[in-house]
Amino acid sequence: MMQFLGETHIDFIKLRWKAIAVSAVIILAGIVSMIIKGGPKYGVDFLGGTVIQVHFAQAPDIGDVRSALANASYGDVEIKTFGAPNEILLRVHEQREGLAVSESIMKALREAFPQNQPEARLVESVGPKVGRELRTAAIWATLISLVLILIYVSFRFEFIFAVGAVVALFHDVMVTLSFLSFFDLEVNLTVVAALLTIVGYSLNDTIVVMDRIRENRRIHRDAGIEKLINLSVNQTLGRTIITSLTVLMVVLILLFFGGDVIYNFAFAMTVGVISGVYSTVYIAAPIVVEWHKKAEMQKIRRGVKVA
Amino acid sequence: MRRNNLVRTVIIVLAVIWSLWQLYPTFIVGRQKNEAESYFAKVEQQTALQRDEINEALNSGQLEQRIRERLRHKSSDSLQQVMKETSSLIALHDKISKNDAKAIKRGLDLQGGTYLVYEVNLPKLMRDVAKNKDARFEEILKELDQVAAAPNTDYFAALQKRFADAGIRLNRYFGSRAQTDAQIIDELKKEADDSIARNLEILRNRIDQFGVSEPSITQQGNRRVVVELAGITDVNRAKNIIGKTALLEFNLVKEPQIFQDIITKIDNLLKRDLAAKSGAATAAADTSTADTTGAGGKVSQDKAVNVSELFAGSSIAGDSANASQDSVQVDKEIFSGNPFLSLLRDVGSGEVAVPAKNVRAVERILNNPGVQKVIPPDAEFAWSNKPEQVADEQYYYLYLVKKEPELSGALLTNAQQQIASGAGMTRQGEWTVSMQMNDEGTKIFSRVTGANVNKRLAIILDNKVVMAPNIKEKIPSGSASIEGSMDADEAKDLAIVLRAGALQAPMQVIEERTVGPSLGQDSISKGTWSALISLLLVMVFMAIYYKLSGVLADVALVLNIVILLACMAFLKATLTLPGIAGIILTIGMAVDANVLILERIREELRTGKTVRTSIEAGYDRAFWTIFDSNITTLLTALVLYQFGTGPIKGFAVTLMFGLAVSMFTAIVVTRVIYDYVTRRYNLKTLSI
Repeated sequence: MMQFLGETHIDFIKLRWKAIAVSAVIILAGIVSMIIKGGPKYGVDFLGGTVIQVHFAQAPDIGDVRSALANASYGDVEIKTFGAPNEILLRVHEQREGLAVSESIMKALREAFPQNQPEARLVESVGPKVGRELRTAAIWATLISLVLILIYVSFRFEFIFAVGAVVALFHDVMVTLSFLSFFDLEVNLTVVAALLTIVGYSLNDTIVVMDRIRENRRIHRDAGIEKLINLSVNQTLGRTIITSLTVLMVVLILLFFGGDVIYNFAFAMTVGVISGVYSTVYIAAPIVVEWHKKAEMQKIRRGVKVA
Repeated sequence: MRRNNLVRTVIIVLAVIWSLWQLYPTFIVGRQKNEAESYFAKVEQQTALQRDEINEALNSGQLEQRIRERLRHKSSDSLQQVMKETSSLIALHDKISKNDAKAIKRGLDLQGGTYLVYEVNLPKLMRDVAKNKDARFEEILKELDQVAAAPNTDYFAALQKRFADAGIRLNRYFGSRAQTDAQIIDELKKEADDSIARNLEILRNRIDQFGVSEPSITQQGNRRVVVELAGITDVNRAKNIIGKTALLEFNLVKEPQIFQDIITKIDNLLKRDLAAKSGAATAAADTSTADTTGAGGKVSQDKAVNVSELFAGSSIAGDSANASQDSVQVDKEIFSGNPFLSLLRDVGSGEVAVPAKNVRAVERILNNPGVQKVIPPDAEFAWSNKPEQVADEQYYYLYLVKKEPELSGALLTNAQQQIASGAGMTRQGEWTVSMQMNDEGTKIFSRVTGANVNKRLAIILDNKVVMAPNIKEKIPSGSASIEGSMDADEAKDLAIVLRAGALQAPMQVIEERTVGPSLGQDSISKGTWSALISLLLVMVFMAIYYKLSGVLADVALVLNIVILLACMAFLKATLTLPGIAGIILTIGMAVDANVLILERIREELRTGKTVRTSIEAGYDRAFWTIFDSNITTLLTALVLYQFGTGPIKGFAVTLMFGLAVSMFTAIVVTRVIYDYVTRRYNLKTLSI
């Protein structure tokens, strides 16, 4: 039997305050970073605007591209290379509906670089109205899935488990957003899809541990909650490590070989998968521990009074 | 137990056979396409037909006929040779299109194409249907434009409220006198809603004629249309065909004298305004640019004047024009006396031309409420649709036409692009669009042309004058043609939109996503490679870590993917790039179910239980964990599906199917194999 770990008896719960401190620092840094940068870096999906990925036969001079666009009265265009030097990514935050921004930009480029065959490989143009709609929809989607999870987990386990799970999920989303902000990556529709997948995956992990706690509680009736959780986390540790490794392997492959279109998605997934495993042990479990401790204390106090 | 397993085995075998059968077309169609390539090349070479032409003929089933026509001068031998290849190509093409229909559908992001969302332009619709429009109306509508631009707002409620607040009854601009505001709002709403259904039909018509294979045109909500065009190369042309309102009208042009009078009146009006502003304008700027085209043939010096300063007091409130475009060219000598006339040019033919640079300034003057009063109520100004190059300057023409059109494009029965023979006004080889009117149209056209000989009739498309020829004689035939520098594509497209009819309500693009074919190909190969590498790595890892049990899990994993893809082919779900990511993620997640079970079996084995009881306990205990975790992930996938657009939906779909299938493969398939193996060989130890 090949095993990374034998039977373990790590006291995870003892480390909870330090772990929570680490999480708090990351999320606070993330919030600061987002405040400095003026919120998460929304893509055109949410802000409205146009992104064009232009392929040139040979790498053009960025300055020439800029002046060509300025001549076509597109002064405020973000221009950068994308992958190869002959792939240029243009971003225009034009805030008007029904505008043929991509057409006029491509026309200007074709006129300025007749030899260089500029070709629009990708155009994403979202009017400000749709942008705002998508943003609201994304927020609602995240909230609705969290509420659904809260309901389902309370129904299958107990309410405090559900609270722990949802706080852990919220933690994962915040950590992922923080890292996106640290690396100056854009939040677009696919990133929201990644966030919701992280929610699903992280929950998966939390449920495996909670399931074990539920089972152990039946076996060790008199054990304290801390002991139960430690036991359960240790018992499921083998599975946690194997699964996280395979999933991590897969998202890393997406990150490195999936191409530019899917890069932000893969990046968010990578951060989220790591955070998801961690949050089960250090966010969801401590909440359950603290809540139970309080409940026990109250029971003891009440017991004292009665006696 | 035994019988139970038999049933399960049968189900599994059936599932595998069904999956392979579902996936066969996807597998075979790629080969057939490659094979077809060689036939295409041969036919192209032998007939000198373009690839597009061959495709078009293939789709309409007229390839053989087309080639016979083309090669009628060739010897029958070579014709026979070509016909043999052609018939193979046709047979193959039939097979391909049959298989394509059953193959997994690739999303626009994978095959290249464009996704467009159009919305009924309510503000424009209101402006179109309103009567007796005045400055107050424009002002209120301008304020309402912000409401239209905000998400999830009720434009009509805002419209009703805004007019009520201003103390204006809606029947002043809409509906009939006897109607209440609520009735008019209901009617306007109905008009907007009805128009979308009609628009949908017209769009289908237009796109069909444009010749896109398998377009998807669907209504979204009350006022939106989603158009998906796969494998399209010229997106702009498609957008022109789809988005054009294509309202064709024939309006009589007002007599030049009336136009002259209005110009004089406008000038007087502006002079009064200017005088009131202490002549600050004339000192505005003295950067002068040379312009050789003078009014009345006089060569004079033009100078740049900042119009926003000039007409600041009288321009419409809230008009924030681009400063750089306000620098216009005026005729210096006549500027002070005739501020409006100085923006215009007389190019000799009696038509009024406006240098392209001055167009905005002229528009602003014409929109001025005071100026509007000078224009006769039965007339309106219209611009030419294209600029004309005279010397080194571009000009637009400005027409004063009768407001009420004599007849409209609704009376057309047909429109065809034609190449001019050289007779009449057009040069030989120029493209024109000839139109045929129905009986009613013919009658009206005949009467109008008969009564207005030697006057000019403007042909107006979407409020822009395409041409305004002089009526030489009565035209009783009901046929007319549109001329003017068009290339073959433009003429074809114009004929299409005229045939399909005008949109009932104007629409605008609010979202566009276009992926070029090369990027789509790139995404497919990258996605496929990532998926294969992931699969391989995970499988190797499982086999090493869990030995034979791991190999069994690998079998389940492969089955999982095969069945998942088969489900997608069967349900005609679309595979998008995020969808591929979803499959890759499924690979990662499906392993989890197996890992849970295997780890559980290991635990049971460690407590000293026999192989069979360990396996049984492992599956039983792991089941609810797997169930709970999959259900919760399914919940989030459902939410994603509900909220997502195109590609994201594709992701949610693969994730949902992936989860469902992985439950089946991890719990049922591996279990049956274990049962079989442990019974058959009565295992004492398990390779795990």
